[in-house]
Amino acid sequence: MSEFAFKGGLKLENPYPADEIDLIRIPLPDKVILPLQQRIGEQAKPIVGIGEHVLTGQVVATIDDERCAPVHASISGNVVAIDEQVMPHQSGLKALCITIESDGKDDWVDTSIGCTEHYELCTPETIYNKIRVSGIVGMGGAGFPTHTKVQLAEGCHTLLVNATECEPGITCDASLILAYSTKIIRGAEVLFHISRAERAIIAIEDDKPEAIALLKKYCNNDRISIEEIPTKYTSGAEKILVKSVLGIEIPSGKFASDVGVLCLNVGTVVAIFDAVVENRPLISRAVTVAGNAVKVPKNFQVRLGASYDYLLSFTDLEEGKHKVSMAGMMMGIELKGTNYSVTKNTNCIFVDMDEKSAPAKAKECIRCGLCNTVCPVDLLPQQLYWYSKGENIDKAVDYNLLDCIECGCCSYVCPSRIPLVNYYQFSKALYRQQVKEKEQTDKARSRFEFREMRLERNKRERAEMMEAKKKALKEKMASDKAQKDIIEAAVERVSSSKSDTEEQDGN
Amino acid sequence: MFDATSTLSLLALLFGLGLGYAAIRYRVEGNPLVDQIDAILPQTQCGQCDFPGCRPYAEAIASGEAEINQCPPGGQEGVDALAELLNIETMTLNEEHGEPEPKRVAVVDEDVCIGCTLCIQACPVDAFVGSSKVMTTVIAQECTGCDLCIPVCPVDCIEMVEIKPTVRNYIPDIAELAHV
Repeated sequence: MSEFAFKGGLKLENPYPADEIDLIRIPLPDKVILPLQQRIGEQAKPIVGIGEHVLTGQVVATIDDERCAPVHASISGNVVAIDEQVMPHQSGLKALCITIESDGKDDWVDTSIGCTEHYELCTPETIYNKIRVSGIVGMGGAGFPTHTKVQLAEGCHTLLVNATECEPGITCDASLILAYSTKIIRGAEVLFHISRAERAIIAIEDDKPEAIALLKKYCNNDRISIEEIPTKYTSGAEKILVKSVLGIEIPSGKFASDVGVLCLNVGTVVAIFDAVVENRPLISRAVTVAGNAVKVPKNFQVRLGASYDYLLSFTDLEEGKHKVSMAGMMMGIELKGTNYSVTKNTNCIFVDMDEKSAPAKAKECIRCGLCNTVCPVDLLPQQLYWYSKGENIDKAVDYNLLDCIECGCCSYVCPSRIPLVNYYQFSKALYRQQVKEKEQTDKARSRFEFREMRLERNKRERAEMMEAKKKALKEKMASDKAQKDIIEAAVERVSSSKSDTEEQDGN
Repeated sequence: MFDATSTLSLLALLFGLGLGYAAIRYRVEGNPLVDQIDAILPQTQCGQCDFPGCRPYAEAIASGEAEINQCPPGGQEGVDALAELLNIETMTLNEEHGEPEPKRVAVVDEDVCIGCTLCIQACPVDAFVGSSKVMTTVIAQECTGCDLCIPVCPVDCIEMVEIKPTVRNYIPDIAELAHV
């Protein structure tokens, strides 16, 4: 049991416990919609055309950006559309997506070429690249490109495998452990090969005895240990986990890699194993479906791009009006309808009955300070709320707004039901915009000044050139004059000598 | 009497030398106020303020030749920020110079462009790429949306397009959160 603890956080019961958390494999969807804009990085560009036949695991969109992971076809079939579709995002905005209709065959691209089990013979660079071209991003929900993360933590001393659930109610990581515990252990061994980590710790909450037993059973590597941590919400957040398992506090604005820790979600480790050893890119993930409208919560291994509707058709839903959100009860984003597709960072779909979960109307802040006591990253949520509400972003940033992990503990305990996290999200978005605008104005200023300087220089150079030309011309004319003088003198000489001769002849 | 006079004279000489050295060593180039004003201005370089760019306008404000409310792209927020910097009463944006509009970028209809290069000469931030008698295009990231290329185009092939919100630059509406 871990000896370090973190301040704040919440001890929450799983509101939707399930007797069985097995990972259910569902049949192939008829159609997948793959968004080209992932959570981090530029939007990928499609490299297939409409009507083209694609194989499972084939790259359909990519971009020459280090921070961007390519998008792979998750089923085999024909590309039927490349158009704008609504994204599973709070904005409800559209972005470019590729739609593939299944041919029902699930024909794979050639997966025989690659590192296979003899990955020890591959250089770390080859494996980084393999992770990149396999489109792996953080599967815990943040969606940070894994190859970048692994590369940043090249010299790390500890590999921390995050086997804790993101939030109460989500069980997809536990179901993944039950299904693929050997892959997790072997994935950690792959990571040993490419990083300098001496040990690996698989951190798991103590309320999952089955998963812990299974991991212990299959772990026969001395360098890998399994550490149980108390079940307390937000322990799954990277910074908090590093603190509670290793006792290392990550400084503000830094990452786990800065303190020599490589922290990866179990789903990511499984994906790395699949990519490196089995040569299969990331085309599916585990998703929990829960909520008070779901009779029995279930976990599904589903192809990326499958629609929410398709996934929900395998669960028993109560009749009535539903409220759907991506991710769980604490950090979930409420969505309008179910017309979305599963992406690389969809860890959970929550379906609630609309009337049961109508949010209470927010009231004024009574300055009780409860939010301050539960904040796991030691911020002052109340202070941040005032500044965010007043759009005083600089001040909020002074109070370390950017260190907020948006865990939702403050909103959960607020007796006035103020949606505090939404305010912080607003402030953060505004701050990002301000920073971007500042960058743009600075660039415009320097470009304007450079242009002025260039015009000035051109003018000066032209004037100098004219001056030089004039001078040269004058010199030429002057030398011409000298030449003329010489000729004239010669002519005179000749004529005078002629007249002399004539005179002599006359004599 | 002599001691006192000589001590004070010596001190005065030392301080004088010190100050003289500091004046040369820490000399401020240019007018720092102009830089501060320029930092607030949006750098659109559109000339709507009747000055040929943001820097000249900043110089005019600093010397008292121009009012602080002549910059439409900066909006009312910009006017307020200038008033705070100069410690004067804020004023409303002068609509004679134009109204604030959402940020836009120039897009060239490349089929129509005749390669006259007039837009390249008009652009204050060198956002156009092209050469004479070949098609011209805009580097969208560099365009400030100043509209200066619109009037000079002889074939009207430049259009100002509003920047659409995307998932990446989306800002949630705080008014929706407002309560009670």
